[in-house]
Amino acid sequence: MTKWYRENAPITAEQLADELMRLKRGSVTRRHFLGVTGLGLATAVLARQPGLFSSTAFAQDLGSQMSIATWPNYHDPATFEAFQAATGVAVEVNVFGSNEEMLAKLQAGGTGWDLFVPTNYTISTYVELGLIDELDLSKLPNYDAATETARFTNEGVVDGKTYAVPKNWGTTGIALNSTKIKTPVTSWKDFFEVAMTEADGRAMVHDYQLTTIGNALVSLGYSFNSTKPDELAKAEELLIKVKPHLYAINSDYQPSMRATDAWMTMCWTNDGAQLNRDMPEIQFVLGKDGGEIWSDFYAIPKSAANKAAGYALLNYLMAPENAVKEHIANGAPTTDSRVLKLLPAEITGNKIVYPDEASLTPLEFGAAVTLTDPGRAELMARFKSA
Amino acid sequence: MTSASTNDIEFRSVAKRYGSVTAVSDINFAVPKGAFMALLGPSGCGKTTCLRMIGGFEQPSEGTVYISGEAMNGVAAYRRPVNMVFQHYALFPHLDVEQNVSYGLKQMRPRRAPAEISRRAQEALDMVRLGGFGKRRIHEMSGGQQQRVALARAIVNKPKVLLLDEPLAALDKKLRTAMQIELQTLQRELGITFVLVTHDQEEALSMSDFVCVMNAGRIIQVGPPQDIYDRPASLFVADFVGKTNRIAATVDDGGTTIVFADGTRVASTATAKPRAGSATVALRPEAISLKRNGAAGTATLSGTVTHRIFLGSSVEYSVDVDGLGDFLVTADRRTIGDSDLVEPGDRVGLAFDPNALHIFPA
Amino acid sequence: MPVATNTKRNLVTAALVAPAAAWLMIFLVLPFIAMLVFAFGERAPEGGYQAAFTFAQFARLPTRAAAFWNTMVLAPVGALLCLLVAYPVAYYLAVKADPRYRLILVSLVVVPFWTSLLVRTYAWMYILGSRGIPNLLSMIGLEDVRLLNTPCAVLLGIVYGYLPLMIMPIYVSLEKLDRRLLEASADLGAKPVSTFFGVTLPLSLPGVMTGVALVTILLLGEYLIPQLLGGGKVFFIGNALVDLFLQSRNWPFGSAIAVTLVAVVVVILMVAMRIAFRVAGTRQVDLV
Repeated sequence: MTKWYRENAPITAEQLADELMRLKRGSVTRRHFLGVTGLGLATAVLARQPGLFSSTAFAQDLGSQMSIATWPNYHDPATFEAFQAATGVAVEVNVFGSNEEMLAKLQAGGTGWDLFVPTNYTISTYVELGLIDELDLSKLPNYDAATETARFTNEGVVDGKTYAVPKNWGTTGIALNSTKIKTPVTSWKDFFEVAMTEADGRAMVHDYQLTTIGNALVSLGYSFNSTKPDELAKAEELLIKVKPHLYAINSDYQPSMRATDAWMTMCWTNDGAQLNRDMPEIQFVLGKDGGEIWSDFYAIPKSAANKAAGYALLNYLMAPENAVKEHIANGAPTTDSRVLKLLPAEITGNKIVYPDEASLTPLEFGAAVTLTDPGRAELMARFKSA
Repeated sequence: MTSASTNDIEFRSVAKRYGSVTAVSDINFAVPKGAFMALLGPSGCGKTTCLRMIGGFEQPSEGTVYISGEAMNGVAAYRRPVNMVFQHYALFPHLDVEQNVSYGLKQMRPRRAPAEISRRAQEALDMVRLGGFGKRRIHEMSGGQQQRVALARAIVNKPKVLLLDEPLAALDKKLRTAMQIELQTLQRELGITFVLVTHDQEEALSMSDFVCVMNAGRIIQVGPPQDIYDRPASLFVADFVGKTNRIAATVDDGGTTIVFADGTRVASTATAKPRAGSATVALRPEAISLKRNGAAGTATLSGTVTHRIFLGSSVEYSVDVDGLGDFLVTADRRTIGDSDLVEPGDRVGLAFDPNALHIFPA
Repeated sequence: MPVATNTKRNLVTAALVAPAAAWLMIFLVLPFIAMLVFAFGERAPEGGYQAAFTFAQFARLPTRAAAFWNTMVLAPVGALLCLLVAYPVAYYLAVKADPRYRLILVSLVVVPFWTSLLVRTYAWMYILGSRGIPNLLSMIGLEDVRLLNTPCAVLLGIVYGYLPLMIMPIYVSLEKLDRRLLEASADLGAKPVSTFFGVTLPLSLPGVMTGVALVTILLLGEYLIPQLLGGGKVFFIGNALVDLFLQSRNWPFGSAIAVTLVAVVVVILMVAMRIAFRVAGTRQVDLV
C-alpha cells in the first residue's frame, strides 16, 4: 500500500479527490455530508438506473433504494455495491458520531432509515420507547444464534424477544503515534496526563458522552458508567482542565491521525486496526484501568419505509461469506464463530482486533442508564461549550 | 492675452481624445479675470469636456490649460483654485445643507476653526438667500433651493473661477429667468470669473460678457453676445444663436450685388467684398418689416402670410415668399401699430436693410 | 365607485401577499410558536419535550454563557474581518473595474457559492492541517505551527465562507453611488482619502450595515465552520443548539436558547438599520 499520507508530504489534487471519495463513502462522522453535498443522493440516483440489475433472486419487491444509519469507517463499500448488484437496491449510507445522535434522529422521526447500527447499551431504551420492532428471524435465515457469542449478543434480546442481532464487537482504547509520543501510555490516567503534556494540542476525545465521560471517570478510578453526581463533577473538572490542551473534540479522528495533526486519540478497535494497518507507528492500547467493551447491533426502526429491503440487507450481511469481507475491511472483531473460521490468520492473530482476554477484564459494557441520564448529557454539553 | 494677471483661464491648442474619438481639438481661448464666459453649443459639441478640463476631472490629450497663468497639466481636481456647480448639483445626500456648504471649508489645510467654518458657511448661505435652511436635509429642498445650495457650496471656498455646468437646465422657465439675474448679481458681488456651460443660447447671451460658440469639438466663434448675434462668423452660429432665415443666392463677379434664387438683386453693402459665387444669405426675422400690399413700396420681396403666432410683446409671422419659400418674420409690437397687423392670407411686401444680410459663401 | 375600487384593490393586495404570508406562517411563525411553547416546558426523561410551564430553561442560560460569549465575540469580529476584506473587493468591482468585465468579475465572487460550503470547508481542513500551510512553513524552518482547530482557523473559515454575502450588498451600494459626488468632493478640495471617508464610505454604509448585519446574524446560528475548523473546541451557540437537539435531546433548553438568540438578532437588526439610515440620510438626492 502506498503511504500517500506520509508525514509532511503535501496532498495532491488526486489525493484530495481520494479523500473526498472516502468521505462520500461514509468514513466520516459528518452527518451532513451526504445531505448537504447531494453526493449521496447522486450516487443513489445513478445506481437506480432501471434494467441494470435484475433482482430475480428475490421474490419480494425490495424497491430501488434503502437507507442505513451507521458509524464512520465501518463498512466495506464493496459490500453495498455487491448487495445492489444482487438485488437492485441502492443503499444510502448515513454516518453518525454518537448513539445519542441516532436516538435523537429516531425520536424526532422521519429518518427514512431501513436499518441502523445501535450499540449494545441503547437497545433496551429503543425497545422501551417503541422505536424498534422485534426482528422476524424467519426473514433472516443467514442468522444463527447458536454460532454467536452470548456475551456480545444478549443485549439484543429483551424479554426473550430478539430486537437486534450483532454486527461485531470491539473496545474503546487509545490510539497513539509512537514517533511523536515517547511517554508510555497504558491507562486512561496516562491518556489525560499526556494530553496535557507531551501531546499538548495533539490529543482528541470523542464527541460522544459515553466514551469521553466514561474514560474520564475511569481515569479517576470510577466506573465507566457512573451517573453519581459527585463522580461526574470530578470527571467534568478533569475534562474542562484538559479541554484547552485538546486538538479536537470529534469522533472522526482517522483523518487527523493520518495527517499527524493529532498524535493521540480515544479510538475504537476497528479504527485502531485500520490506522495501524496503514501506519504501523500508530499503536492501539487498552486502558489497564478500564474502559469500554462494546458490541454493535443491527436493528430495524419501527418507522422504516422499506422494511423488506432492510431485512434483505441484514440477511445479506449475516451470511458469513459476506460478513467476513466486512470484518477484513473494517478491522472489528466478529461475534460469529462461522465468520471467525473464515478470517485469515493475520487478522485473528492481530492483538488489536483480538486482544488477550486478560486485557479485556477491566473493561465495562456501556450501561443503558448513560444514554438517557440528563446529568451525563448536560455534562457533555457543558464540556463542549466551556 | 497670455499674461497671468489678465486671464483667469486660458486654453492653448487643447485637444481631448478618448481612444480614437476626438472630443475636442484645437481649442484656444482665454477668459479675462472677472469675466463671465459662456461656452455655448449643441449637446456633444465638447463644451462640457472643456469645463471638466478646467475643473481637473479630465486631462487634455494635447495642449495646456492655464488657470491664472499656471499650467494645470497633471494637477488634480482637488488642488485647483476653481469650484464647480454640477449639473443636477451633485449635493451630498448624507449631509444637511450647512454641512454641504461647509464641506469645502473643512478640506482646507491648515484646518480652519469651527467658528470660522460656520461663519463662512452662513455667509455663503445668506448670499444665496438660504439663511435659515442650514439644518435642512437635501431631499427636503426644492429644485431651486438645491440649485442655490450648490452655488453656496461652490463659492464658499472663494475660488478664482466658478464653473457652472448647465446650472439652470433643471429649473422651470420662470425660476430660470430669476436665477439668471441672481447669477449675474452674484458674479458682480464676488468679482470672480464665471465659466458657464449651456446649450441655451438665450441664457448664454443674456448672462455672459463673452460667448464661445462650439460645434463638433471646435470653437466656431468667440466674442461679446452682441457680436455673436449681429455678426455671426458662420451660418452655424447664425442658425444656433437666435433664429434666422436662409436665402440661397449668388454673389456676382464684383462682389457688389447679391442675386437671390428668385432673381431679386440686392446691392451688397458689406465693407469686405464677399467672394463671388453661390452663397447662403442669413437674415434675422426681426430685421424684416412687413408692408401691406399696395403700401408705399420699398419692399424687396413679396409673399403671402400663412401663419401668425401672437407672443404678447411681439408677433411672429410665417410668410410664403414668392420664389423663395417660407420666411419667419418677427414684428415688435412697440414699433408697429395695430393697423400694421396683417392676417394669414394677406399679401405682403417684405422690406429689410441690406446691411442686415449676412453672406456666407457656400 | 370608491367602495368597489377599494374592495378590488384589497383583493389584489391579498392575492399578492397571500403566498408569502402562508409561507411565513407555516415555516416561520408556527415553528417559532412551537419553540416558544417548548422553551417553557421540560425535558422528558428519555429526551424530547414534555408539557410544563417553567422558567427553568431560561434560568439555565448561564450554563451556555461561554458559547454565547464566543458567538457574541467571534460573530461580530468575523463580520468585521469579513468587511475589511470585502470592502476593497466591492470597491474595486463597483468603482475601479472596467465595466466591460464587471459582470464577469462579480459572478466570480458568487461562483464559489455554487459549491457546498461544507466541501469548501473540508478543503480548508487540508490547507490548514499539517499537510497544508504548516508543511510549507516547516520548509522555511517554522516547525509545528498549529492552525487547524484554533479560533483563528474558525475566523478564517468565516471570512472565507461569508465573503460573498458581505461583498454583494456593499457592491450594490457602491455601484449606485453617483460618481459626480466624488467629483464634487474633489472639486471642493478633498484629497482622495478625504473623499473616501467623507463621501464614499458614508454613502455605502447602508450596504455595509446590511452586509454586517446579514453576516453577523447568520454567524450567530453558524455551527458548521466552528465544528470543522474549530475541532469542536471553538463553540458557537449554534453548536450548543445542535448538541441540545441532537445529542442531549433537550428540546426545551434548546428552544429557550433559540428564543434568546432570536431576540438578540432582532435587537441587532434594529440597531444596525437605525444607525445605517441615520448616517446615510436618504439614499437618493431629488433630481427635481
